[in-house]
Amino acid sequence: MGSLVNYVLRRVLFAIPVFLAVSILTFFATNGVANPYDIVRFGIHNPSAAQLDALKAYFHYDDPVYVRYFLWLSQFLQGDMGKSLYTGTVASNILPWIATTLELQVPALLLSLAIGIPIGVYSAKHQYSKTDLGVSTAAIFGYSTPTFWLGIIAIIIFSADLHWLPSAGAVSGYPPYWWGNIYLDSLAHAILPLSVLTFVSLATIVRLVRANMLDILRQDFVLAARASGLSEWTVTYKHALKNAITPIVTVVGLGFGVLLAGAPALETTFSWPGLGYEYVLAVGKLDLPLVQGLTMIIAVMVLGANVFTDLAYALLDPRVRLG
Amino acid sequence: MRSGGKKPVRRGASQRAVGWRRFKRNKTGLAGLGIIAFFTLLAVYGLFLDPVPGRSYACLSTGCSNLPPFADWNHPLGTETSGIDVWHEIIHGSAGDLYVGFGATLIAVVIGLAIGALAGYRTGFSGAVLLGFTQLFFVLPVLVLILLFSKILLTFVARGLGLTLIVLILGLFGWPFIAFIARGEILRIRELEFVQASRALGASNFRILFRHIVPNLLSSIIVVASLAVAGNIVTEVVISYLGFGDANTSTWGLIIQEGANYANTSWWIAFFPGIAVVLCVLGFNLLGDGLSDALNPRLRE
Amino acid sequence: MPQTILEVEDLKSYFYTEAGVVKAVDGVSFTVNKGEPLGLVGESGSGKTVTALSVLRIVPHPGRVVSGKITFHDEDLLAKTEKEMRRVRGKQIGYVSQDPNSSLDPLFTVESQLTEVVMAHEKLSNEVASERVLKLLQLVKIPEPEARLKAYPHELSGGMRQRIAIARALAAEPDLLIADEPTTNLDVTIQAQVLELLKDLERELEMALILITHDMGIVAEMAQKVVVLYAGRVAEVSHVKEIFSAPKHPYTAALLQAVPRIDKKRELVPIPGSIPNLITPPSGCRYHPRCGYMIDKCVSIEPTLERVGEGREVSCHRWRELSLGESS
Repeated sequence: MGSLVNYVLRRVLFAIPVFLAVSILTFFATNGVANPYDIVRFGIHNPSAAQLDALKAYFHYDDPVYVRYFLWLSQFLQGDMGKSLYTGTVASNILPWIATTLELQVPALLLSLAIGIPIGVYSAKHQYSKTDLGVSTAAIFGYSTPTFWLGIIAIIIFSADLHWLPSAGAVSGYPPYWWGNIYLDSLAHAILPLSVLTFVSLATIVRLVRANMLDILRQDFVLAARASGLSEWTVTYKHALKNAITPIVTVVGLGFGVLLAGAPALETTFSWPGLGYEYVLAVGKLDLPLVQGLTMIIAVMVLGANVFTDLAYALLDPRVRLG
Repeated sequence: MRSGGKKPVRRGASQRAVGWRRFKRNKTGLAGLGIIAFFTLLAVYGLFLDPVPGRSYACLSTGCSNLPPFADWNHPLGTETSGIDVWHEIIHGSAGDLYVGFGATLIAVVIGLAIGALAGYRTGFSGAVLLGFTQLFFVLPVLVLILLFSKILLTFVARGLGLTLIVLILGLFGWPFIAFIARGEILRIRELEFVQASRALGASNFRILFRHIVPNLLSSIIVVASLAVAGNIVTEVVISYLGFGDANTSTWGLIIQEGANYANTSWWIAFFPGIAVVLCVLGFNLLGDGLSDALNPRLRE
Repeated sequence: MPQTILEVEDLKSYFYTEAGVVKAVDGVSFTVNKGEPLGLVGESGSGKTVTALSVLRIVPHPGRVVSGKITFHDEDLLAKTEKEMRRVRGKQIGYVSQDPNSSLDPLFTVESQLTEVVMAHEKLSNEVASERVLKLLQLVKIPEPEARLKAYPHELSGGMRQRIAIARALAAEPDLLIADEPTTNLDVTIQAQVLELLKDLERELEMALILITHDMGIVAEMAQKVVVLYAGRVAEVSHVKEIFSAPKHPYTAALLQAVPRIDKKRELVPIPGSIPNLITPPSGCRYHPRCGYMIDKCVSIEPTLERVGEGREVSCHRWRELSLGESS
């Protein structure tokens, strides 16, 4: 157990320089090219003199770069994550946005794991069969398809053409609600983006599980387990799958961290008001304070997901805990 | 003594020859190569031979705008209300997206190989620092940062450089992955017996690096590079789709964005370019898979 | 009177691959008697492992047993259902594979892997199972067995891992143990210990033993009866002493010449050529392309396995004329 705690501590410590690196990169993006004041002013229509003065003060226009950096960073660490030009403080908006993104990402992840793992295992066990061939082909097509484009096609078919499902937003802002009440309305809105996201994630998961299982099933300990008279179920799931899944945990965990950023393109397609969509809007409007704040928050979430993934991996695979 | 029986055929037994033979037998890899060749031809045609330039609104004046597909064989895949022809945009988009795909991967591989090789060959502190630096990028929200840099750079720096800036951005964010793979491979190859034998025989580090390590490394790097091109193309499509790319150059993402706006009326604007993306990315994924199967023998005989 | 515990008759196991049908085992017959450890010998690719896997019916995909009869305790194993075979595997026939580094699941402790096998065949309480596992570790002479229980495979040395693998193969007290190249991946000093262990176990547990190896030196030390395989067929069957002094098959003789010996000073002579392609094996006698005594008949007509003495069989056209070996 000691080595486990040790391992996690090391990972957490590693997070600190990463956090700093992200802050530097973000700051470089928004301050390195030009003074943010100049950038932002570019994006605002008809600013008044008072607005411009306030902006100058906000961005510490007259201070040198490193001073600006430290001021911003220390404010952030104290909880002041910045104030958007248009939509209030970052802090007040962040939780609803994250929640909205998670409403889409979490069910998609769970569904794709629940469906994808059994399919991958079956495919690996029946390699070269027609089913395996079909699954592999479908997986590689799905893997090569941009999720957001699939969303557009889904909208074209199910929304624009058939009118079965809505195409924008997470919920209707006002009655009449789809399918009767506001809860079903939310469900109706979620179906298309969720299906599209699940389908593409499935492709990745199936490919991974199948590839790993194929490798593991060739190994001696699988043969030895079978030779000891253990049931096929025990051999496949208790031994083979457990070995195959540990690298998948890493991929899923890291991917989830990235997904937390909201799959910006997909959310934009469906105008789904999650973190990704708001980020895209903010960048588009050159709402720099919001952009900076959001980037840092997303970075922290990705880091968190990473540490969590490492922990899960170390729990599953005892070999990792050394060194 | 060897009368009768089959005469053994002497075929090249080098790893490369064996790999190439296996690759030829491997249908997926060849299919991938075929698809890539197709899009390369389209790109070349678009760059040098296509009379209709990219982002051309010609149809506005000649009255062929807003046509559905398969109606007029001069405009086989339809046109937009703005006059843009879908098929020509796909052609020019091939050039744009392949440029980004190959260009960014090239940069990433050059930088990644250099840093990865250093990190792999030098143990001790310098190696650890390089490794840490590489791993740093894995924990960054890369897409988010790429979008940010794209928007800012393309708005404020050189407006005309458009795609090249994207190539640079993607290359600079893409090298850590290559470096990581390169490092891992070098560590593995270094421990292989024939390398140790070479060292025992007194070969210099330089010689070992080039004669032994690099050829073995290349096979894994090529696999990773194919997949990297696929990834870079998808990222480019996302960047253009969201409007952070170069609005004046034809890319698939750009026309898909326009297609999304017309989802209700003109399905063909988003559909066909998307198919092009799927096929092109598929091509590189198939190539990567095919190469991987050919170069990493997994079948136990 | 030797008691036959396993009889393999004309076993054929093929692999149906994309490149063609690999006839890994193509008509192998032999018997194993209690108290008479059998050495199954041949180069890699000769079909030794596939034979063992066929007996247990765990030949991996895309291979399978095509035909033949395998009689164990008066029952044909090839006629059993999968469920019945599961009761044979581990409980009646145990198997140890060659690579100790990969034959144990890296994610489970020693205790858990041994207990799992015990419990798969007998419903025991946890305490009784734990005692059994501890006894198993003592049986394979693991020092400080209690401490090793909670260990993971990667925390143990190669020699210890192999002992644990052997313990697992014996966990359900089988009557026959098949050890597939159990020492190939071990250091020479550890090799000796493991072989010693196998000899002791064979004696103490009154267990029949099939030892698969390519090393004639190990055969000399461990086996009483020897079956030489070549390209999926039996080349020669013999008692161990005779096979060293007077081998009757050219391949066996060639194998012997490749073994260094302390008492005789001579050159090591490797066997020319390489193992044949098992998808399209050579015509006639499969060994003929590499055989120093080949005649025209060997190219066209396949030799059959003939009984040429007490416990001796050979499949060579010229066994009567040739005088191989170094009986001096």
